Amino acid sequence: MQQAMKVTVKSWTGVATWRWIANDDNCGICRMPFDSCCPDCKLPGDDCPLVWGACSHCFHIHCIVKWLHSQPQQQCPMCRQDWKFNNK
Amino acid sequence: MAKKGELEACWSKINYAFPILNGTIFTECTNEEYEDIQEIVINLGIQIKIRDLVIIHIEKYVRQNIVPSFWAKFVKSDVEVKGFQLFKTAINDLYDSVTNFEPMLRKLSLLNSNCSDNMPIFGERDIILGFKQLLRATLLAQIPLEFQYIIYFFYKVSFNVFDNEYENSDMGEDVMCSGCWNDYSDCNCAYIVKVFHDTNRKLMELQLLERLAGQVLTNFIQMRIESHIQKLCTGTFDVSHIAFLENWLDTTVMSWLTRIYCGGSSKPPPDDKNVQNAISKFKQKLSYYLYHSYTKLRIDQLFNIIIEYPDSQPAVDDIKLCLDKTDLRPTLCKNLQTALETRLLHPGVNTSEILTAYVSTIRTLRHLDPSGVILETVTKPVRNYLRNREDTVRSVVSSLTEDGVGSELAEELAKFAADGEDDLEKEDLWDEWNPDPVDADPKANSSDRKASDIISMLVNVYGSKELFVNEYRTLLADRLLGQTVINTEKEITYLELLKLRFGESQLHFCEVMLKDVYDSKRINALIHQDNSFGDSHIMCNGMILSAQFWPPFKDESLELPDVIKQLLERYTKCFEALKGNRTLNWIPHLGNVNIEIEIGQKKLDLTVSPFNATLIMHFQDKPEWSLEELHQVMKVPITILRRKITYWQSMGLISEKSADYYVLVDGNDANRSNVATSQVQEMICEDEESESVMASAHDQREGELQVFWSYIVGMLTNLDSLPLDRIHQMLKMFASQAPGTECSIQELRQFLDTKVRTHQLVLQGSMYKLPKT
Repeated sequence: MQQAMKVTVKSWTGVATWRWIANDDNCGICRMPFDSCCPDCKLPGDDCPLVWGACSHCFHIHCIVKWLHSQPQQQCPMCRQDWKFNNK
Repeated sequence: MAKKGELEACWSKINYAFPILNGTIFTECTNEEYEDIQEIVINLGIQIKIRDLVIIHIEKYVRQNIVPSFWAKFVKSDVEVKGFQLFKTAINDLYDSVTNFEPMLRKLSLLNSNCSDNMPIFGERDIILGFKQLLRATLLAQIPLEFQYIIYFFYKVSFNVFDNEYENSDMGEDVMCSGCWNDYSDCNCAYIVKVFHDTNRKLMELQLLERLAGQVLTNFIQMRIESHIQKLCTGTFDVSHIAFLENWLDTTVMSWLTRIYCGGSSKPPPDDKNVQNAISKFKQKLSYYLYHSYTKLRIDQLFNIIIEYPDSQPAVDDIKLCLDKTDLRPTLCKNLQTALETRLLHPGVNTSEILTAYVSTIRTLRHLDPSGVILETVTKPVRNYLRNREDTVRSVVSSLTEDGVGSELAEELAKFAADGEDDLEKEDLWDEWNPDPVDADPKANSSDRKASDIISMLVNVYGSKELFVNEYRTLLADRLLGQTVINTEKEITYLELLKLRFGESQLHFCEVMLKDVYDSKRINALIHQDNSFGDSHIMCNGMILSAQFWPPFKDESLELPDVIKQLLERYTKCFEALKGNRTLNWIPHLGNVNIEIEIGQKKLDLTVSPFNATLIMHFQDKPEWSLEELHQVMKVPITILRRKITYWQSMGLISEKSADYYVLVDGNDANRSNVATSQVQEMICEDEESESVMASAHDQREGELQVFWSYIVGMLTNLDSLPLDRIHQMLKMFASQAPGTECSIQELRQFLDTKVRTHQLVLQGSMYKLPKT
């Protein structure tokens, strides 16, 4: 059996979609998907990142900041625990 | 009381004075003799009786002799010149016999002046006028069926001569005189002109010109006008003919007509109001006819004029001018509509061609009728038709954003951006306001009609921007993923232009898509610098998309070769390191691969799809595969495999040994395959590009409507059963602002019907219900 063919891949351009590694699909505050952006933003991803709280809930950063500003107590809107940013 | 003998003498004297009583006209009776005779008649007191008797005899003579012999000459003949001669003789004879009557008529009017009853003779006070009236009445009473033939010939021959006189350009080159069709040596023109004027003068004197020849003359001139227009105006649209035609009417036709009416002189007598009136009336009639026939001709050619616009602008200007003078607007609308329907709106015409014609129509009709009413009426069928073509939106969008073939629209888009600020000036134009034409639709707003430009006319085919924006998104996605080198700047320019028209919010998604492409380049550069990526001989690039903003992709599976899978995994790791808390989902069948194939002495450098790359890499490991085995390793449906493997077959690398069993072609054989590599490459590239990687518009729509399903289920659970329009209303209330959520009632009905078919809904009467579980 003659093996005459050699295939060399010089470059491979693949297509991928990015997503946040989070325990939910949608932001609990704005109800938009995490992979999209909060209602105030135009561009997703770097421009509208997610933050995790110590309680393991996560939100668009703009959403949770807005929420915390409007509340007397700094609580997670999902579980009512005190909100602390989890800088993991 | 006179004796009987005296009475007889008197009678014979009366007969002598009025020979008509014996059936002849000629007499030697002189004026002096007549005066004596009249004396006798008056003395006898019978002047009224004698007058009436004479008139009765004249009447009889005219009826039995003059008129029949006149009409007897009107024989149908095929020879023009013979007709000319016949008519001439007829008129001459008639004129002569009328002249012969004159002495007797003079006597009769003397007699009449002695009658005291003041009876009008044939409606006229004057005997001579009365006689002419009688003659005309009798002539027309006996008119034969085909009398117009020789009159027609008569005027045809003479008009020919006149025509020739005015257009004597190429004299001497022909042997024949183009006026009278004789050899130059015995040209008859002068004679014809003389006879013609003579005859017309006589007809005028008899007041028979308009009665006898009017109809023929009008018909004849109209025919000449028509043939002249035909001769002048076929095929060329880039010259305005109207001034030329008006001039022709004024000089050639009118001067000829004047000559007829004035017996040869080219100017009407300044003191004869009757003739002047007749001529100016005739002229009005003829110029209306001229405009009418010219416009008609142009209307028949309008489709071609439109196609050639703007080169054909002079012709359009002509029509515009003429439309005001004639009442052909409805004809124009109807004819153009039919022309569009028969020549454009059938399956044999490409959508892009229809669009080009449509754009051209819009431009032309906008110029023709700035109010936009004609445009609206005429293009209605085109819009309806375009709405039913599946690829309309795609054609419009691609011609909007591409250079080259459809660039007209791209220009239009750029133009809109340029002259968007004109609106302020319009405030000053209030004094140039015109009411809408009568055929305008009173329900529609006239400013809408005027304001809409070409692109909005196209967009309005569908009645919403949404569809266009969505289609543009799909097209952009295809372009961004299909190209190896992406010209981001160009795309951004188009996007900015489109934003001006469709608004920022509609095109927000596209903006994100472009940013994704731009960001991917940066990420690729960063990852390539990263040492942990490891040095692989394979250059790995990623195109990292924000899934929420891209149109849904076609759902296809493909198992990549292990080497590549590891490579992509490493890329993902690097990405995760780069962007905390984020990861990648690869879409294996998208992208492109640059591979080099060495087979025998041949080297191929190809850019192919991941599918084709995977396939050929499998054949590198093992030269013989059955379709089933390939299906096992690649996880691709067999039908698709069979279709796509043809790529490598056409390259001459793989051949089908037996049914569904493929083998690698022997290296030496491969050398012999005489397919020029570059050629194939081009061919395949096209093939690859033509296929969209996006889900079809229909599937997309289905997916979008799925959003509503949960709402509908909720509604029906609470309210038990609802009719279609109620569901539609409630959905409208709840509908969010995401693109595509606008939903027509028809679409909703279709969607609900599919649900009924899959037994997820029950339709009872006109009410939708959830099936009982």
